[in-house]
Amino acid sequence: MFDTTNFQPLLARRYTLEVRQQMAWYWQAQVIALALLVGMLISAAILVSAGVPAGELLNEFVILTLFDSQSLRAVLFQAAPLIMVGLAGCLAFRARFWNLGLEGQMIWGAIGATAISLFEIGPPSLRLPLMMVCAMACGLLWALAPVLLKLHLKVNEIISTLMLNYIAINFLLHLVYGSWKDPRDSFPYSPQYKVFERLPELFDGVSLAVVLALVVALFVLWFTGISRAGLYLRFVDSSPGVARAVGVPVKRVILGTVLLSGALAGLAGLMITAGQEGRLTHSFYAGYGFSGILIAFLARNQPIAATVVAVLVATLFVAGRSLQVFYQIPFSMVQLIQAILVICVASSEFFIRHRIRRIQGGQV
Amino acid sequence: MDMIASWIGNIPDFAVPFALAALGLIVIERSGVLALGAEGLMLVGALAGIGASLMTGGATVWALILAMCAAGVVSLLFALMVLVMRINQVIAGLALVFFCQGLTGLLGTLLDWTNKPVAGLQSLSLWPFSELPVVGKLFVQNPLVFVTPLIFVVVVLVLNRSVLGLRLRAVGENPQAADAAGIPVLGYRCAAIVAGSMLIGLAGAYISVLSTKMWIADMVGGRGWIAVALVIFARWSPWKALAGAVLFGCIEALIPQMAASGIRLPQYFVFMTPYAVTLGVMIWVALASRDSSSQPGALGEPFIREERR
Amino acid sequence: MSNPNAIRLDSVSKSFDGFKALSEASFTARWGEVHALLGENGAGKSSLMNIAAGLYAPETGSLFIDDNPVRLKGPLDAAAQGIGMVHQHFKLVKPFTVAENILLGLRHLQAGTYRQRLAQTAEQITAMAASLGFSIEPHARVDQLSVAEQQRVEILKVLLAGARILILDEPTAVLTDAEAENLLTTVQHFAHQEGAAVILVTHKMNDVMRYADQVTVMRTGSTVASLKPQTVSVGELVKLTVGDAPTPPQIPSSRDAGEVRLAVRDLRSSGDAPALRGVNLELRAGEIYGIAGVGGNGQSELAGALMGLPEPVSGEMELVGEGDLNSLSAARRRELGIACIPADRYSSALAAPLSISDNFAMGDVHSGRYGPFWFLRRKRIEADTAAAVAEFDVQGVRSLQQKAALLSGGNAQKLVIAREFARIPQLVIVHSPSRGLDVRATLAVHERLRSARDAGAAVLLISEDLDEVMALADRIGVMSAGRIIGEFAQPADRQAIGQAMVNHV
Repeated sequence: MFDTTNFQPLLARRYTLEVRQQMAWYWQAQVIALALLVGMLISAAILVSAGVPAGELLNEFVILTLFDSQSLRAVLFQAAPLIMVGLAGCLAFRARFWNLGLEGQMIWGAIGATAISLFEIGPPSLRLPLMMVCAMACGLLWALAPVLLKLHLKVNEIISTLMLNYIAINFLLHLVYGSWKDPRDSFPYSPQYKVFERLPELFDGVSLAVVLALVVALFVLWFTGISRAGLYLRFVDSSPGVARAVGVPVKRVILGTVLLSGALAGLAGLMITAGQEGRLTHSFYAGYGFSGILIAFLARNQPIAATVVAVLVATLFVAGRSLQVFYQIPFSMVQLIQAILVICVASSEFFIRHRIRRIQGGQV
Repeated sequence: MDMIASWIGNIPDFAVPFALAALGLIVIERSGVLALGAEGLMLVGALAGIGASLMTGGATVWALILAMCAAGVVSLLFALMVLVMRINQVIAGLALVFFCQGLTGLLGTLLDWTNKPVAGLQSLSLWPFSELPVVGKLFVQNPLVFVTPLIFVVVVLVLNRSVLGLRLRAVGENPQAADAAGIPVLGYRCAAIVAGSMLIGLAGAYISVLSTKMWIADMVGGRGWIAVALVIFARWSPWKALAGAVLFGCIEALIPQMAASGIRLPQYFVFMTPYAVTLGVMIWVALASRDSSSQPGALGEPFIREERR
Repeated sequence: MSNPNAIRLDSVSKSFDGFKALSEASFTARWGEVHALLGENGAGKSSLMNIAAGLYAPETGSLFIDDNPVRLKGPLDAAAQGIGMVHQHFKLVKPFTVAENILLGLRHLQAGTYRQRLAQTAEQITAMAASLGFSIEPHARVDQLSVAEQQRVEILKVLLAGARILILDEPTAVLTDAEAENLLTTVQHFAHQEGAAVILVTHKMNDVMRYADQVTVMRTGSTVASLKPQTVSVGELVKLTVGDAPTPPQIPSSRDAGEVRLAVRDLRSSGDAPALRGVNLELRAGEIYGIAGVGGNGQSELAGALMGLPEPVSGEMELVGEGDLNSLSAARRRELGIACIPADRYSSALAAPLSISDNFAMGDVHSGRYGPFWFLRRKRIEADTAAAVAEFDVQGVRSLQQKAALLSGGNAQKLVIAREFARIPQLVIVHSPSRGLDVRATLAVHERLRSARDAGAAVLLISEDLDEVMALADRIGVMSAGRIIGEFAQPADRQAIGQAMVNHV
């Protein structure tokens, strides 16, 4: 009946793909770290072939930026808005909302803050807090339309947020080339903010922006980890159908989270204009949109990890600027490096989620 | 009257990139792969077209073909990400766009291809149509404009009236069924990605080589994204996409006309129009029909045979 | 065909990510016979046949066709060897026509234009269908066909590709009794008259006894016996399939039902082909009301409407004393003791990637038991979950943080019940509770439902498994074409119920 003698190996070596159920987190971290390393090596190779001496790379990226106190401050300063957009990305993605409109929301945040400054609304002591509130409100409102469109009409938010980005950019140009242009010279920016309208330096040259960013990070940590909204979000993120069935107020959760995301992006806009630039400029937002997505992706939507990744990206930005100055490498190099890192880490997920199995014939 | 004539005459120039890009996207998405990377692939095609044109000293047709090949090669990276690595297709598409933006920005500067004018192609006159009043200028276009409808016809024929197209559509609707029928799902998807990307690259090359006749960083300016939206509201039908592309061509062609006519409109608001119209059309389509039944059934889902259900 | 053995699988083993689905299973089917592969859900029948059809690769073991060793690299290879499988979930492209679907797989039609090939395919379809005794419109769209017709398309597809070894995976699961008889007679004829080998994967004893020439019994991944069904009794066959004799199902006690808890009046879906066309029923406390019927007559939609899915329905669902069922918030439903156990665990009850404690927490989180909005009381969630897991005997829990997806079907179901029954339920709506569960798990679930009823709950059981309904329900309603067309009190006449199920009013 059952012939167990005279085995013949049926299949020679062969590979097949199986889905893994779970992988311990420390293995995951190792795989991701390896992926990042690969990505950085590839980037280094590109930089070298673009004309940067290999020895200088280590110098630039590691030593100068992290061990020089002045550039460390610059990194932290650069990190603040990046932390904000990173957190904004984390929040939106947890609600399964592809918020690509971070730049548009930043722009409107900055416009709102600038309006308060230009029209001198409120007494000087309250000016800055008023600007912050206005920035968050404007960012939030610019995110309102896409999320409502998605929830009620199922309009794809990738397109809607991107289109709103382009509209915001054009409006910004309209303002800085037009009615808000600084009459003193012919550059496309607004008049400077007054001293009390800028984010002050607190201690040791560290700006309020950095402290603000860390506070917001803690807030997002609370929101996603400690509050009930975090549990709701986990359901919305993993299984929206189940979420609805078990009583999660899905629409409200998505709406609230995305609006929060917009508000954070708006605040990021303020951080740049009231922090670094001191006025509304025509391209302050460049590169932050994708960076926000990148940070959220690499950090797997975790707020603390996002903060760390944001600092690393800030390092990249600062190093990128000095590469631009000293070696004439265009800033799009930074974008390319970021894309390479994303691709490498995304590819590594493959090994986390799947197992490649070798099939052999014969007895086990 | 002159203004209307020259507006009409300019429409194809603006419509063709949308049309070709949308067609390329349709080919890819009909195989079940969500393609968001159009913006990036158009940039690659644009830069490669200019670069090839500059290096070959003006062999424009070859430049266009090389541009298509360049886009095809870059799309292999995307194919690797979504077909082999099974990366989430939205992330892969976004990563591709930013990769291409960074790469083209970098290469454009390093290789000194920026702001260098190229010759483009001589316009062809379709006599006697070109003598018509008002619409006459519509028939004086560069050759690629006349070739585009032919490309559409070929693609539609292959998709709907050939076994190859049948299999491709099956792969997009129900890859398990296609697999059980012995169709190599990943092979078809890869081929669709490369073929579609070549069309998208051609669209980008059109903008740089034939229209603007030079390369400027990020010159595609969101048209790739608009093409993605076009495909959605054309419900993945090539002819509807062509109609949508013509519509957008009309709108974009208005922009220089407005400036030339002396009508006082705030410049940047005029620039906003294509994006606002895209958003408007997306909303209108969502309102008009709340079903997405023409979306390829398996769009966006990776295919693994042994996933235990 | 001098060799009697059509297909032989030898000592095949297969694991899915650590779970051993097959261990050293062996199977031989001969030409000209109808060979049944019998076993409970999860015994490994489908996995074994998927290997035969080239869809999975075995870890160990060999495959022989006509006693020649064969290596299958994919379904294409299997088709080339003459193996064709009709799956439980049809592999048809819904928007395509019948002819287009079949043309997809036909490799030998290489010549001619597309139109010609399509026409040729249509001709072959009509011819083959006629030879099997039915007719089918080749240019009809598959999504316009009934389930039984779609199944016929699948069979045609496989036969036209040249299959001589036909594998049918649970073919009668989606058919009415009459359609099932039709099908099985047809394939029996195909085997006996045409000499083909037909393999019938099933868990239905009756089908085996009536139509099979040979039966191989599988249990937990191994093949335990192969014999002629005519030589044994049904009881012995059951014993082989199930292992230890299970406790016989209890006859539901005839209790006096209490007051009406739930009244459904004229429930209708909207749209062109509404699933619900005026459902009326009353559910009383202390009874199990079972809704029987062939799958696809509106059961899922009824369950969905009652469980709170936002489908547009008109009519009333009144929870006596509270008003419209749908107007209640999740917290209020919980408070009132409304428990819902849906058919598809991982699309309606449990979030597979989330932890067991997260999933359990959703039961009571709305009521504030686990803290206010701004602070989630994790310790309390853990404690409650641990207690529930112990009380409801959820096995396979190494840690409360592990993903819910790692639980087996039966244990996942127990987790859902643990969550829903954490507070004493007053109204239970349950849909296909034992789908995908083995015998032991099913008995445990049935026990829970009975004790809920005995404690005074009103239980609405919607199930496509008539055995389950017969074993549990105090009253049985038959659902057909979106309506309840008849009610039967227990002890009910199974034949009469079966008749009612098939009569489409």
